[in-house]
Formats: sequence, C-alpha cells, structure tokens
Amino acid sequence: MTTIPARLAKRAVAHTSLASARADVLALYRDFYRAAPEICDTYALDIPPSLVRTRYRQEFERNKHVTDLKVLDVLILKGRQEYQEVMNTWKMRAQLLGFIMAPIERQGQHPKGFLDSFYTGKDELAVLPMSP
Amino acid sequence: MLRLGAKRALRSGAASRGFQTSSKRSADVTLTVDGKSVTVPQGTALIQACEAAGVTIPRFCYHDRLAIAGNCRMCLVEVARSPKPVASCAMPAMPGAQVFTNTPMVHEAREGVMEFLLANHPLDCPICDQGGECDLQDQSMRYGSDRTRFHEITGKRAVENKDFGPLVKTVMNRCIQCTRCVRFANEVAGVEELGTTGRGNDLQIGMYVEKVMDSELSGNVVDLCPVGALTSKPYAFHARPWELKDTESIDVMDAVGSNINVQSRGPKVMRVQPRTNEDVNEEWISDKTRYAYDGLQFQRLMTPLVRQGDRFIPASWEGALTAIRAGLTNSGAQGNSIKAIAGALADTESLVALKDWINNLGSDNTALDCAGGSEPPAATVDVRSNYLFNATIPALEQADAILLVGTNPRHEAAVMNSRIRKSYLHTGLEVGFIGERAETTYEYEYLGADLKAVDEFVKSKNGFAAKFKEAKKPMIVVGSALTEHPDGKAALKTLAKYVQANKGKMLTPEWNGFCVLQRHASRAAAYDIGFVPTASAAKATPSFVYLLSADDVDPKSIPESAFVVYQGSHGDLGAQIADVVLPGAAYTEKGMTWVNTEGRAQMGRAAVSIPGAAREDWKIIRALSEVCGEPLPYDDIVQLRDRMWEVSPTLVRYDSAEPTSVDVAQLGLAQMANALTPAKASGKPFEKPIKNFYMTDPISRASVTMAHCTKAFVKGEGYGLSKDETAAQASFA
Amino acid sequence: MLAKAAARRGLKPLWNVQLQRGFATVQDPPVRHYGGLKDQDRIFTNLYSRHDHGLKGAQSRGDWHRTKDILAKGDSWIIQTMKDSGLRGRGGAGFPSGLKWSFMNKPGWEKDPRPRYLVVNADEGEPGTCKDREIMRGDPHKLVEGCLVAGRAMNATAAYIYIRGEFYQEASHVQQAIDEAYKAGLIGKNACGSGYKFDVYLHRGAGAYICGEETALIESLEGKQGKPRLKPPFPADVGLFGCPSTVANVETVSVAPTICRRGGKWFASFGRERNQGTKLFCISGHVNNPCTIEEEMSIPLKELVEKHCGGVRGGWDNLLGIIPGGSSVPILPIKKCEEVLMDFDSLKDAQSGLGTGAVIVMDKSTDVVAAIARFAHFYKHESCGQCTPCREGTTWMMNMMDRFAEGRGQEREIDMLLELTKQVEGRTICALGDAAAWPIQGLMRHFRPEVEKRLAQFKAANGPVLFGGRLQRDVPSELAIPDNMGPERPEQQLPPPPAAA
Repeated sequence: MTTIPARLAKRAVAHTSLASARADVLALYRDFYRAAPEICDTYALDIPPSLVRTRYRQEFERNKHVTDLKVLDVLILKGRQEYQEVMNTWKMRAQLLGFIMAPIERQGQHPKGFLDSFYTGKDELAVLPMSP
Repeated sequence: MLRLGAKRALRSGAASRGFQTSSKRSADVTLTVDGKSVTVPQGTALIQACEAAGVTIPRFCYHDRLAIAGNCRMCLVEVARSPKPVASCAMPAMPGAQVFTNTPMVHEAREGVMEFLLANHPLDCPICDQGGECDLQDQSMRYGSDRTRFHEITGKRAVENKDFGPLVKTVMNRCIQCTRCVRFANEVAGVEELGTTGRGNDLQIGMYVEKVMDSELSGNVVDLCPVGALTSKPYAFHARPWELKDTESIDVMDAVGSNINVQSRGPKVMRVQPRTNEDVNEEWISDKTRYAYDGLQFQRLMTPLVRQGDRFIPASWEGALTAIRAGLTNSGAQGNSIKAIAGALADTESLVALKDWINNLGSDNTALDCAGGSEPPAATVDVRSNYLFNATIPALEQADAILLVGTNPRHEAAVMNSRIRKSYLHTGLEVGFIGERAETTYEYEYLGADLKAVDEFVKSKNGFAAKFKEAKKPMIVVGSALTEHPDGKAALKTLAKYVQANKGKMLTPEWNGFCVLQRHASRAAAYDIGFVPTASAAKATPSFVYLLSADDVDPKSIPESAFVVYQGSHGDLGAQIADVVLPGAAYTEKGMTWVNTEGRAQMGRAAVSIPGAAREDWKIIRALSEVCGEPLPYDDIVQLRDRMWEVSPTLVRYDSAEPTSVDVAQLGLAQMANALTPAKASGKPFEKPIKNFYMTDPISRASVTMAHCTKAFVKGEGYGLSKDETAAQASFA
Repeated sequence: MLAKAAARRGLKPLWNVQLQRGFATVQDPPVRHYGGLKDQDRIFTNLYSRHDHGLKGAQSRGDWHRTKDILAKGDSWIIQTMKDSGLRGRGGAGFPSGLKWSFMNKPGWEKDPRPRYLVVNADEGEPGTCKDREIMRGDPHKLVEGCLVAGRAMNATAAYIYIRGEFYQEASHVQQAIDEAYKAGLIGKNACGSGYKFDVYLHRGAGAYICGEETALIESLEGKQGKPRLKPPFPADVGLFGCPSTVANVETVSVAPTICRRGGKWFASFGRERNQGTKLFCISGHVNNPCTIEEEMSIPLKELVEKHCGGVRGGWDNLLGIIPGGSSVPILPIKKCEEVLMDFDSLKDAQSGLGTGAVIVMDKSTDVVAAIARFAHFYKHESCGQCTPCREGTTWMMNMMDRFAEGRGQEREIDMLLELTKQVEGRTICALGDAAAWPIQGLMRHFRPEVEKRLAQFKAANGPVLFGGRLQRDVPSELAIPDNMGPERPEQQLPPPPAAA
C-alpha cells in the first residue's frame, strides 16, 4: 500500500474568534467519534469503540478550559495531526494501545513504601542502567 | 636462555619505558617538539615525549606495556641533525633534541609506510570485525591515499589462517606483522610458542606447530591487534563498536577486581573489555573475565520459584516471600539454627543486608560457601591484614622473593600472575612454591606439597629459604585454599611466626610481606563485614538455611529437614536444593560494591537491565525482612551504604586499598601465631582449589564459550567450533 | 680563475685537474697516482692458498711474530695505532675502526662486571664478494691473531667468529687455526704468554644474508631469529648476550696485527687521505681473469680491471657498466668507470659506494634490467620481514623489476618505482632497505633509456599495458577502467581555441 503523505492533512488555521475555533474543535471531535470503529478495526484492538471514544473525549475535556486562541490553534493542529497519523496507520498498534490504556494503567501507580514498590517492580530508586 | 633473551629485550627497551617503570626516575630531559618545549623523565621514548607535548604520533607496533619492536615504521619523526627520519618509539628523548612531527619529510615517510601496509592488506573492512575500531582504518584515513597504486598482477599476499582455539579468531591475510601479539604472549602471558616464522614477505605469526594458544590471558591479543587479524571468536559478526554502549564496571570472576568495560546492546551484554587501572589489572583481563559473559544468557532465574513436591512452581514475589515466612516459622528455626551461607558472587550490599537480617533474627550463624566455611575461619578475621593481599598488587613487581603457599596464581588471579612473570623476566625475582605442582609462567623452586614443607622452609638455612632470608622485599603469598585446608591453621601459625621473627623486613610501614590471595570476588568483603560464624554458632544444626549465591555448597551438609532458600542469578547447584528460589541480578545488572583481594573497594555499574522479575539482591533481603516482620532500617542504596560505612568505612572508600598499620597487623599475626591447632597434622597435601580455570562459578559454568575452552584447553580435545568455522571462514575469506 | 672553476667542479678527479692547472695554483702538491701495491707491502700473503694455511705456514709468513709485545703495549696503544693507520671498516659501511673499537673502552668500563665480546662478522653473503673466505681459507691465523689483537684493544674476554654456514672448508680451516693456536698457547688462558685470557669461538651460521648485519648477527649468535635490532642501544653498550660487544669484519680484524707490527704510518701511506690502506678487491663478471686481489686503496677502477683481471671481455669499449662494491651499491656506467678511484669518497661522489670492494663487471652482452631485477629478487628473498617498508617494499620492487625486465609496464611506473625506492631508503631498521633501493636507483639513473626502450618494445608487440602489468587487451572492453589504472585513451579532442576578438 502506498502512503499518500497528504491524505487527511489539514492546513493550520489561525483562528480569529472563539466561535470559529469551537467549530473546528467540534469537527475534529466528530471525526474521532466516527472513526472509532475503524480505528478498532484497523489496529485490531480488542476493545469496544466506545472506549476509544471515551479516551479521545478525555483528551478534549482535558483542554476544555483553554480560551487562548493561539494555544487553541496549536491544539487543533496537533489534534488533526494525531487524527491523520491514526487514520493513515502511521502509528504502531502498541503506541495506540499505550495511549488508550494509559489512564487505566495509571491507576494505583504510586506504590506506597518499600515492599509495595518491590512487588510492583516500579522502583524509582533502582539503580537503572545508564540510558542507552 | 629464553629468560636471558627476555632480559635483553627489556634492556633494549628499558631506555624507552620511562613512563611505566617506577624504578628509575633520575633526571629530566628537556627537548623541543614542534617548537614546543617539553620536559620528560630521562629514558622516555620520543613518542611519549611527543605525546606529552600534545602531538599524537601514529603507531602500530608500539605499545607502552610491551617491549619496543620498532618495526612498523609508522611513528617516524624528523629530528634536527639527523639525515633520516627516526622511529620515535625506539629513540630515547635526548636533551635539547629538536623534534618535528609536521614536516614534509615526516608526512612523506608516514604516507609511504601506510602505502606499504595497505599494499598487502585485504580491502575487506565491511566484513571485518575490527571495522570501526581498527587502527589501520583510522590511520589510513589520515595518512592513506584515496586510491591505490598497487595493481600488481601477482596480486596480494595470501596467508593461511591459524587455529588459536575457541577464543581468538585469526584472519591472517589482514596481519601487518606488528608482532604486538607475539610480544604480549612472550612477555606477559608466558606463551613462548607464539612467534614468527618465515621471513620477508612470507613472515607469519603462528604457534610454530599446529597448536591452540593455551593461555588464560589470550583474549588480550584481540585488543592488542591493531588490525582485524586477531578478533574475538565468540563475538564474531555479532555487533559493531558504534552500536555498543559502554559501562565501566568491575569484574567478579576472581578476586582481583579487574576494571572492565561492559559493552552492551539493548538488554544484552555483547562483550567485555578491560579498562586501564595501573593499580589492579594494568590493561589486561583474563579470558574468563572477557568471555564468560554469554553465561549471563543461560540458566537464568527469571521469576521466584516455590518447591511443591518434586518440582518448582513459578510464584509471585509476594507468594515466594510469604512462603519463606511460613517456612521460617514452620521449621521452628531459632537463634543459631538460622543459617546464611554467602557465595562467591554475592555483592557487598547484599552481604551487609543479609548479615543484618540474620543477626536481627538472633543468629550468628553466617557462613561462607567454601570448605570449612561453616567453621570459624582459620585466620581470625578481626584484623584486616590477616585475610588481605596486604602488599597490594603492584608490589608484586617490587618483591625480590615470593613464596607461594597453596596457591596457583595463574588460575586464581591470572592478571596478577602476569605481574609476577613481568618481575621474573625483568628482575632477579626468586619464586618458591609449596603446594600441588602447578604450571606457572615462571620458574619456581619447589619446596613440597604439605605442612611439612612449610615447617622445613621456616627452619631451613639453604636453598630458597636462604635466598628468601636475604631478600630485601620478601613476600609470602598464601592462597585462600590454605585457610580451607585442615592443616591451614597450623601452616598459617608457622608462617605468622616466621613473619614475626623477620618483621624487620616483612612487616614495615612500607612493606607488608604477608599476603593472602583470595579467589572469590565476595570473600574479602565478607570478611570485612564479619560474615563468619562464631564458634558457638558453628555448632548449631541449621533448620533454616539461606543461600546467597552459594553454589559450591555440599547438599549433604544441609539437614534434610531444613528449609532452604536460594537467592541468586543462575539456576545452578544451589537452586536445586532450595525450597524457595529468589531470582537475583547478575554483576552486569547491578551497581554494587566489590572488595578485591587487596581490600580495595570498587564500584561496579549496571550495564543492562535485570531480566524478568529478578530484583537487586539487597532489595530482596530488605523486602523479605519486612515480610518476616522486622524490616531492615534502609530503604534505598544510600541508606544502605551509610550502614556499610558504619560496619567498615573501607567498604565505601572507593578505589583505594587502605594499608593496615604495622601495630595492628602485628596483633593479627599474634592472633594467628597463638591460634590453637590440632595436635596432629593431617599431612594432606595442599591441593589446587581450581581444577578448571574456565568454570568456577555459575556464570562461567553456564557459558558456552567457557565450555568450549574447557574442552580445548583443559581436556585437550578438538573443540566443536573449530572445524565448522574454518569452512565458514573459507567461504568469505 | 680557471682553477677556481675547477675547484668548484669538485667532482673531477685530481689528475684531471692537474691538466687544467692555471698559474694561480702553483702550490698544489704533486698528485700521486695510486695502485701497484708492491709484494712486500701485501698483508695477505696466502690469499690463493698456495702455501700451508696451518700454524707453521702462518708463522713462516710472519704471523704470531711477537704478538706478546703488541699485547703488552696495551689497549690504548693498539687503538691509537689503528686510528693512525686510518683503517676504515672493510665490511661496507667504512666506519673508522680505531674510533669504533674505542667505544668499548668508555671511561669507567673496568667497573662493568659484564663480559665483553668481539664478534667477527664472517657471514660474507654480499653477492660478488669473496674476500673474507679467501682470508679464512688461506690465512686463518691472521684472523685468529687479529681477534686477539683487536680483542686486547677493546679488552674483550672472548671473540666469536660468526661464519657463514656455506663456508665449510673455511670453517674447518679457521677451526684448525683456533685449535692450533690454543695448543700453542697463543690464545686461551694465557694468550701468547701475556697473562691475558682470551677465547675464540667459531659459530657457523645457517645461511641468511641478513645475518651479516651486525645486530642481526648478534641475535643469530644468541640463538634467535636473525633479525636486526634497534639502535640505540648500540652493541658497544648492549650487544651479544646483553654485554658490550663490537662487530667487525674479517678483513678489518685480520689486518690489525700487521698494522700493529709495521705501524700505523705504514698503512696510512697507501691510498688517499681518509681512505688509507690496502684492501682486497674481488673482481667478477665479464673480465678475462676474475680474481681477488689485494691492492692499494684509491686505485683507479679502470686500472684495477685492466691490470689484474686482464681487462674487460672484448676490450674496455665493450663495457656496459660496473657495480663497484657488491650488489648493494648503484651501478656505474662506462663513462664514470673511467674516472672513479676505488675508495670510499670517490665512489660516494660518483653516487655509488665502495661497499665490500666487490667489483662486478658487465659487458655489453648483459641484460642490465634483468640483472638488477635479479638483485631485487635477492633482496626480497633475504629481507627479514621485520619492518614494513623493507618487507613490503622489496616484494613490490621485485615485482615491478620483473615486469620491467620483460617490458610489461608503463613509463609512468618508472617514476613510481623510483618513488617506492625512496619510500624504502632510510626508513628501515637496518641498511638492507637501502641496499635494496640503491641498485634500482642506479639503474634508473644511468640506464633509464634502456628500460624505456624495453617498455616501448613490449607495447609495440602487445598493445598498451595498464598499471600493474595487465594488458589492456585482456580487460573486457565493456568494463570501465579507472583512470588510476593508467589506460591509454584516445587523443582528447581539445576544444577549438576561442576565436580572436
């Protein structure tokens, strides 16, 4: 399969009003929402599309307080890039899974005390090998 | 004759070895290098003077630890008032000499030599293992032409490859006859069979007859070879140098504590190379150090195991630790019946943690994994000088008489052995030997095999004993096996008395001639910590046994009913007898402290991550202590090292070997001299503790390369790899 | 004015200068003609083994005559005599012998507990040279006595004679001489009754040319591979078995007793300044009567050939060239042969060398390229292989010379070969690299047209040749040949010159 670099590419837009930005955000959200079954399909994810939608919605909601237009411009562009990468299968399955499962994994991450961290093997104080 | 010859070699080389030899440092000479004035000790080679002036001279044959050969002619420089360019490696620095390294004549000379070197050198860099770390490659970038003038129809020289054994792969077409390997083998390793045959363009490096290169230091020729003629066989075609990550660490295959460079790619150790440390291993490491790393891949314990019936069931850490708690309670072990045995590869941190925990449980039964390790040691360990190599390793070169008792340094500390050989070749060193006869790389006077020989040595007034008495810096090297021998106590007693009687020479602030040569990486640290049982504890019957990397333990010495825990990196002998197995980290996976036989604490570093669910060893003990109710008071390595400092400050004073003061050392000798010995000596000969140099610990026992070495060198069989490999090499040669 | 010009020319032999003498140079000393050594001045009186070589015969010829008195005069007297005689080493390098021997007696040498050795280099392997073997065959006692005298001069404890393995008869004669001398008490515990203890040992080599190099000889004597050592340290400091040693040629040592007996002045009366003495010359090749002859130094080369060898085969004009000092020195063309004197300086000025005094004469029937190619083979075979330029260079030069002998090569490769010789010369541990380079340089200096002619002939017969000797016609035409292989290209079309404005 050939890759068309421009597929799903969107030009960056400098929004002039919150309203126009909002419209773009909604359009992006809708794209993700509709793409959820296809994403599960393409990446052979063993999870319901609703979970994918929820995960993407979380990302949108994480930034819902943003009103600075310049920040919004960047966020919208990044969202579009993400969408393009996901839909063009430019991501690896593990990457996408990591993204979707991140909040679930993160639950109970901070081990309490030595023994706990020993059991989980998440030991921040471990002598790590020098980074490769 | 050979010895005489080698002496000559030094003398001719001595003039230019100023930087290495600490003996003569008489006057300084000042000369000019490229207009820059530089002062160097007299006798320094010009090449080193240039180096001191910040000018790098290309070289192939010159190596500052080997005799001067002066045959590659790459290091030519111009010296004022000399019509011809001179080889800077062979020319001593003269006062007032004017050296030029950047003149047309020098460039032309170097380019000429480079052209000649490349004329017969195959252009097979893409398939050459030396590629990327090849002196010839590097220097041809600087001094070589971009295209050749060598088009002769007669073609290039072709040389048959030699079979040097399972460690060194040869591609003799690439050889540039620098003779570094020959000089190393003759001077350092003591393999006098490696040499050159033929002359002129037919000069070849080889063993004269078809024979493998049997030396425990042979791997160093791979490092020395400036081209790809000698490369590492186990590493062949595995990685390129630029893919590897270097980690400076410490070796644990013997008690020398050689400084190594662990080179890894991803999660795998690809090779081990030596790191220079003048005080320990100079620039050499033994073959076991270098090649046993593939043992890290096999037989590893990846997950905790709990014995159920006759099989091990994988368990979670929680499950395994709980099972141990249950085992400890159910075995009814109390006080000294709780026993810990520390093996050869236990790091200092885990030893401290284990001893603290065992002591917290009310037991003093901390034993060592060796013959007699469950008894109080033959030499009391209250004083450090009783179990350390007090004179330090470099002092081996200053000693003028060495008595080896119950030890074969060639196998117990191969790198140190090379120092004895160096001294033997270059000075009038006399060596005496008591114990099972061993093939050393120097001549020795054989005095006997048992306690009687020790007594005779002390009483005798002629032969070696007389020479030893006259020596200015005499040294007695006691093998660690002697302390494990039934007559060890008596032998040590005799020797201690001898040292006391001759303390004018043997025990001065400058010289402590009583040295114990340990052979296990963990042993000196264990003695420092006091990881030995008390007399009363030794009598207790253990019902709970904790094996920390203890793989030499005799299963019969552990009662059937006892609950046994094994902690270690490899599923070796110790794990087989355990009820619970806890996977620990191997030495390349943890940054821990190692104390070598001199008492020098050195820090190893983790090169790769720990495989599977294995954990760092001290953490396992710390977690276990918490599960069993009494957590040890340290949660991280810094706190643990504080605790180590409390136990013995020397454990955390890194990279220095602290001498024991004369008064304290005398106390130690007095303890040994007054020790109670059995009334009747057993009379058994002192045996060599290491029968097979290549397999002494779980890592080397798991190593395929070491198995090949055992086959080729110890058993003397044709080893499996060789035949197939020649075929494979022929196909791409 | 004229004389100044003549002096500036410098190279001209003196007797030619005489012809051009002008009125301003009246004070020029009368020029002496060298050569024609008288019989009473010959040192080697049994060179052709016509008489008894044993002790009796030797004594009848004056050997061992009052040797005790020479020894009694002491080391400094002997060395001073040698210095006065102006003797230069006869092995080829021509280092002043007296000076060399005096290196053994550095201030404070008595305190050195090491034994000291004189090593006699009887490994005469230089092609064309056959002087030492004649001495050892006919006058072995001169050598043994020389060992004693030279040994006394340098306070040596023993002398080792390293004799070439192939010299079987010579070795037996020398051994016989040593045995006789021991028996007669001339050497040994009390040599000649002087109270001086001196031993002489004979050691037979195994036939390597390189063992004639002094340090390689020492190595070989020590039982190792005969490979030259690095200098410094020089043998006078660290030599045989790590002890102070001096290596000297057989001829040098053998003339010492006679010089001591007849005085340094007598010896110095022969030959030009700085080239005094008599010398054995070995003339071989295309002469009517090849011979080894003792002659005065500085004898003109032409006279040497004409007088003692019955001239060149087919007359002097049939001469192609002469190698005046053994295979290691450059060849001289006929024109130079007419004017050179046989001594160190004159031959050096003629860009050759006296070497061992082995004169190899070649007449016009000689294929001079093949002859030098044969030398290249010799040096390739005898290179010890220790140091890079010689090991690789001799082989490369041999391959190229082989091709040139056939004509298979390119003209540009001649310069390349010369450059290779320059890369070998002076870059090696010992002088074998120089010796391998010089004959080729000499050939190209004087006979380059001959080589070029050969190349042209071959090219005419076989078509163009690539670098390295491959024929262009053997290379498939569809293959692109890189420029550095030196392919012949069709004449390039030059762009038309820009039209004049």
